[in-house]
Amino acid sequence: MSNLVFLPIFIPLFVGALLIFFNEKHSLTLKLSFVSLVLNFGVSLYLTFFVFTTHPLILETGGWKAPYGIILVADQLSVIMILSVNVIAGAAALFAYNTVSHKMVKHYFYPLFFLLIAGVSGAFLTGDLFNLFVFFEVLLMASYGLIIIGGSKHQFRESVKYILLNLFSSILFVTTVSFLYSVTGTVNMAQLGQRVAEIEQEGILTGIAILLFIVFATKGALFPLYFWLPKSYIVPSPVVSALFGALLTKVGVYSMLRVYTLIFSHKLELTHTFFIWVASITMLIGVIGALSTSNVKLIIAYNIMPAIGFMLLGIGTFSPESLAGTIYYLVHDMAIKAALFFLAGLLVWHAGTSNLNKMGGYIKSSPLLGWMFFIAALVLAGIPPFSGFVGKYLLLRGAMDEEHYIAAGIGLLSSLLILFSVIRVFIGAFWGELKEEPKEKVNQPGLIASGILIFISIALGVGAEWFYPYIQSAADNLIDPQIYIDFVLKE
Amino acid sequence: MEILMSILAGTLFAAGVYLLLQKQLLKIVLGTALISHGAHLFILTMGKLNRGKPPILVKGIEDYTDPLPQALILTSIVISFGVTSFLLVLAYRTYQSNKTDMMDQLRGTDDE
Amino acid sequence: MLHIYILIPFLAALVIGLAAKKVSRIHTGWFVLPVPAILFIMFCLKLPVLAEGKIVQSVADWIPSLDIQLSFYLDGLSMLFSLLITGIGALVVLYSIFYLSRKEQLVHFYVYLLLFMGSMLGVVLSDNVFVLYTFWEFTSISSFLLIGFWFYRDRSTYGAQKSMLITVFGGLSMLGALILMSNTAETNSIRVMIANRSDILESDLFVPILILLLVGAFTKSAQFPFHSWLPDAMEAPTPVSAYLHSATMVKAGLYLVARFSLIFSGSDVFFILVSGIGLITLCLGSFLASRQTDLKGILAYSTISQLGMIMAMLGFGTGVAILAAIFHIFNHATFKGSLFMIAGIVDHETGTRDIRRLGGLYTFMPISATLAFIGAFSMAGVPLPIFNGFLSKEMFFDSSLKLGQTTGFAGMFAEWIPIIAVLGSIFTFVYSMYLVFGTFMGKSNVKQLEKKPHEAPIGMLLSPIILVVFVILVGLLPNLINEPILAPAAAAVTGDLAITHLQFWHGLNAPFYMSLLVIGIGAVLAFTLKKWQPVYNRIPGKFSSDHWYQFMLNGLLKSSKIITGFLMTGSHRLYLSIILLFMVISTSVFMYFTDGFKISFDDLAPITWPEVLIGLVMAVAAIATILMTQRIAAIIVIGVVGYGLSLLFVFFRAPDLALTQLIVETITVALFLLCFAHLPALKKSDKKPSEKLVDFILASSTGALLTIVAVSSHSSKSFETISKYFVDNSYKLGGGDNIVNVILVDFRGLDTLFEIAVLGLAALGIYAMIKYRDKGDMNH
Repeated sequence: MSNLVFLPIFIPLFVGALLIFFNEKHSLTLKLSFVSLVLNFGVSLYLTFFVFTTHPLILETGGWKAPYGIILVADQLSVIMILSVNVIAGAAALFAYNTVSHKMVKHYFYPLFFLLIAGVSGAFLTGDLFNLFVFFEVLLMASYGLIIIGGSKHQFRESVKYILLNLFSSILFVTTVSFLYSVTGTVNMAQLGQRVAEIEQEGILTGIAILLFIVFATKGALFPLYFWLPKSYIVPSPVVSALFGALLTKVGVYSMLRVYTLIFSHKLELTHTFFIWVASITMLIGVIGALSTSNVKLIIAYNIMPAIGFMLLGIGTFSPESLAGTIYYLVHDMAIKAALFFLAGLLVWHAGTSNLNKMGGYIKSSPLLGWMFFIAALVLAGIPPFSGFVGKYLLLRGAMDEEHYIAAGIGLLSSLLILFSVIRVFIGAFWGELKEEPKEKVNQPGLIASGILIFISIALGVGAEWFYPYIQSAADNLIDPQIYIDFVLKE
Repeated sequence: MEILMSILAGTLFAAGVYLLLQKQLLKIVLGTALISHGAHLFILTMGKLNRGKPPILVKGIEDYTDPLPQALILTSIVISFGVTSFLLVLAYRTYQSNKTDMMDQLRGTDDE
Repeated sequence: MLHIYILIPFLAALVIGLAAKKVSRIHTGWFVLPVPAILFIMFCLKLPVLAEGKIVQSVADWIPSLDIQLSFYLDGLSMLFSLLITGIGALVVLYSIFYLSRKEQLVHFYVYLLLFMGSMLGVVLSDNVFVLYTFWEFTSISSFLLIGFWFYRDRSTYGAQKSMLITVFGGLSMLGALILMSNTAETNSIRVMIANRSDILESDLFVPILILLLVGAFTKSAQFPFHSWLPDAMEAPTPVSAYLHSATMVKAGLYLVARFSLIFSGSDVFFILVSGIGLITLCLGSFLASRQTDLKGILAYSTISQLGMIMAMLGFGTGVAILAAIFHIFNHATFKGSLFMIAGIVDHETGTRDIRRLGGLYTFMPISATLAFIGAFSMAGVPLPIFNGFLSKEMFFDSSLKLGQTTGFAGMFAEWIPIIAVLGSIFTFVYSMYLVFGTFMGKSNVKQLEKKPHEAPIGMLLSPIILVVFVILVGLLPNLINEPILAPAAAAVTGDLAITHLQFWHGLNAPFYMSLLVIGIGAVLAFTLKKWQPVYNRIPGKFSSDHWYQFMLNGLLKSSKIITGFLMTGSHRLYLSIILLFMVISTSVFMYFTDGFKISFDDLAPITWPEVLIGLVMAVAAIATILMTQRIAAIIVIGVVGYGLSLLFVFFRAPDLALTQLIVETITVALFLLCFAHLPALKKSDKKPSEKLVDFILASSTGALLTIVAVSSHSSKSFETISKYFVDNSYKLGGGDNIVNVILVDFRGLDTLFEIAVLGLAALGIYAMIKYRDKGDMNH
């Protein structure tokens, strides 16, 4: 049974490696991708079902038990993440179907795509801090490949900055892991949790926790470590932007969610209060960024930040309710961010420009795109009964319960500004007089992919009762790290 | 010894970071190489230096130096190598397509 | 049961959205009309239940685990609003059938309208505060869509955006209040909150809760200083203005205040805020209405002012005041609805709504004119007992006078209130007269109009006629609606069942004299309006709420450009500097506060000279890298660092590392040589000394920080490492002598597998970079 845990990593790894050899055979590549994505989705669905109905799973790789070997842990949080990743991957593949050129396919789009998925899934499943670093590198390396595929000069220019800042944070990551190893003598997360708890996170450990926070915050694009994000996310093809927006920053958030509940949760009044401040500023700076530009893609890219801020707010608040809020928001944001990047990409192709000021009146030429964008905007802003509301509700409630009124107020304010920043796009691009004839027709598979994700977002909100209890249960497992520790170390 | 080595690693980091802050791509790439070296030295130092024999089992010897950091460094060296090579080629291609290797000319605007 | 009531409009919207395009011959409105009409009857059928003092309620699951339940209840207050929503709704749909041509996007129009109707019913029927909030935001969204119905007009989109921003702002503020209330009272049900009101009243957060909630109500009901969205919302088609922006949606704020007044009404803050803002809005709105030239503009400001008056009465909180407020909610819907419809007719028939171009229309459209006169007289509170507006205004004056008898904090303000009430009413009289006399009386400007005016078709007149019949009927027989509708509504607000018998003639008392005063001064002002107008125009300007909205919006956009431009310069140096600074400062601050610094000399390896020497060479070489001006020299010194490191590995008993480092270093140097040949030569840094200093400080503090953390970590070893297991089991279980190798391929084989993946990816990326050369062809 527990070998199942490896499949969500192995399938994309294997398929990705295989597709390297078929890069010239376009239709075979598409077929293989389709089959493997369906398979992987099925596996992760079953895994999720299994973990929630029976118990979490551990795979001891090579048969070495924790804490000595590397273990993969499929607990409730991990399987929720894995399932979400596979939904996004499926939608992205559908979107890629005829928006990714033969030329890109020939230059290994699909192998890079699958290895990105493998890296992200690995990061969600691993129970070993150094192994997390390795998976970070896999997904980053895949993202480096994806960001430059296409070879335009903006792509090179922005990817240099993207890679430099991420490289710095990666190096900082290994260094910090070694510091932590020096103090605790282990790299296994469960044992780290146990040992840090034993000495009550004293002395240097909080310093190390902050260094590690810097690492994850750079991946997660929190203020003031977000600089690499906005511009580098808009230069690649929309499907790549969507994958980045939906998955990469979320890996940073997931890591924080794991590390600051399981390991460093003994000096809450220091570290987690700090997180709340960082979260609040991130929300504001993010929406301010989104309001500052008339580049449609950039508006969406900036909107990643307030979402990350919301999620960090939940980690900082550290109550069962707020952690559930963070997880809910995480899942919601994966779906809606991908959808918005898709829609923005479709809009930009349709209009032939990404400058909002040159658009107008496209509701006539592409009503479906327009209304999808409108609903996506409402979902993003957290208008009930859509998915954004449930997460936001839990987060705000949690924050107010713990008397973080200022942060909650900033959260409310940024919700308004998020709505403003995206409704501006709707009004500017779809309403008004038709300024210029649309350049090309809206890509149908692309619309379907966006539609699926929007449908999921609506279902996550309207059908919150189907999802929320599971998410709350995952959050309850996080708030008591002993559950995870006992399960992994079986003591 | 560990303290001296920490200082050395810190120095490598400092020199690397200084290079990262420069404008010319070439210097920046050199900087990343230095930082990686610094990081590897840190990892090694964190596992205690010069305790016991090299971690290759020899009959009769019980005391070995900590093997785990060494394994981690090996993984990290290989990964750094991959990233550095990628970065080098990227630097070259960036220079080629943007006609400059100065970072302050690689800023870009919102509207493109 | 109630679920079905709310669901019907949504279902109808769905059906019409999907099916109506198929039958384009018949005006879509005819299919929509039965929806509100039937709902109206269904609500009426519940009147007897309420008369018995019961309420109707029903619950269904939505998110039970979060206690967000679809629980609805119908009491007197909800009933009044439900009847308005469906009744006026039916009349508006009827009117719209004649108003909107079939060429318009009717399906869109009616879908939005039905969405609004359902949401508005949801607002007034919800018991769960978060369900209430959900519907509340939906009314804002449907209002946004309706205002932007003519989406190609700039004014429409401007108005739509403005209304959405302001009302959603209020909605979010309200959400904040609701969450706080729900946390404090530990329930999401309005009725339970009311029952446990002491929890909220005694909470430390009482004032913030109240203010946040009121911001929600004030924005929705266009109260000062949030009123400026309403005039711009007049860009919507006139049926929408009559329905959302005068009869129903804007009253949601009143509903909210009324609904929660059982919790708040005892408090002085509530009294001051609600009646204070209400009175300011009353005066400001009626004053501003007097200087409008657009018919719908006058009506918009008039609505603001009337809403202010009702708000003020809700703030008074006395039995008479509440009943008067309820009464006026009803009356306002009738006379203002009819006036909006007439304004629409005038617009429709003459092609303009500019009152300066109109005049003397009475001869051309006598029925419309008569209806308008009745509506306007009722609005002005002309003291004839055939106008329902007079009765409620009389009660308004009455309640303002009776406040003098209240004691305490409220009493201090009370003396001034009747004066303010009269002042506001004077201007109400002025604009009411200006509206009808300016349009229908006086010199005719018919020749300048685009169309030759004539009376509207009967279908279009039907709705305003019905409303005006109500104006007079209720004016004559107020108790017709008092007992079944108004009294239960008032009872729901005040909490006790005191039915005041509405007198239709109060006799010559103080309120009557106040009315006379209003008419006396008002008449003078109204007929000398032209002379006064320059004065009117001089006053607001910079102080207007519109100006502030623009100022804030522009300020927001401008400052976000400035802030973002300041941060996102595209300079990697700035980015990295901020990251480093943040890292150094936050980590050292935290280490300082948690006593993280530690240095111990206990467990250290002895210092041996070869290593120190190599270390020194490496340090010098590293620093030399910075100073090199030749590419080859730079590569050589960096090679020195790398090879030095592999030597150190040898000395520190890591043979595998040394070997790997040696190989990797060699390949890297070769790569450097290869690539550098294609890159331009090293340039001498053209940085200013100050920039160099900054770089130096950042670099050295980063290095220092990491050194300190490393030393402290090394000095805080608290546990035995897991490595012993590897030493013990490498041969036994792993089958290898070289422990590091066994770890790599066995204990931590997963790392190695994915490390290879990284290398492979790098190779793919490099290949793609070199091969993919087609610039600008990235999209397809």
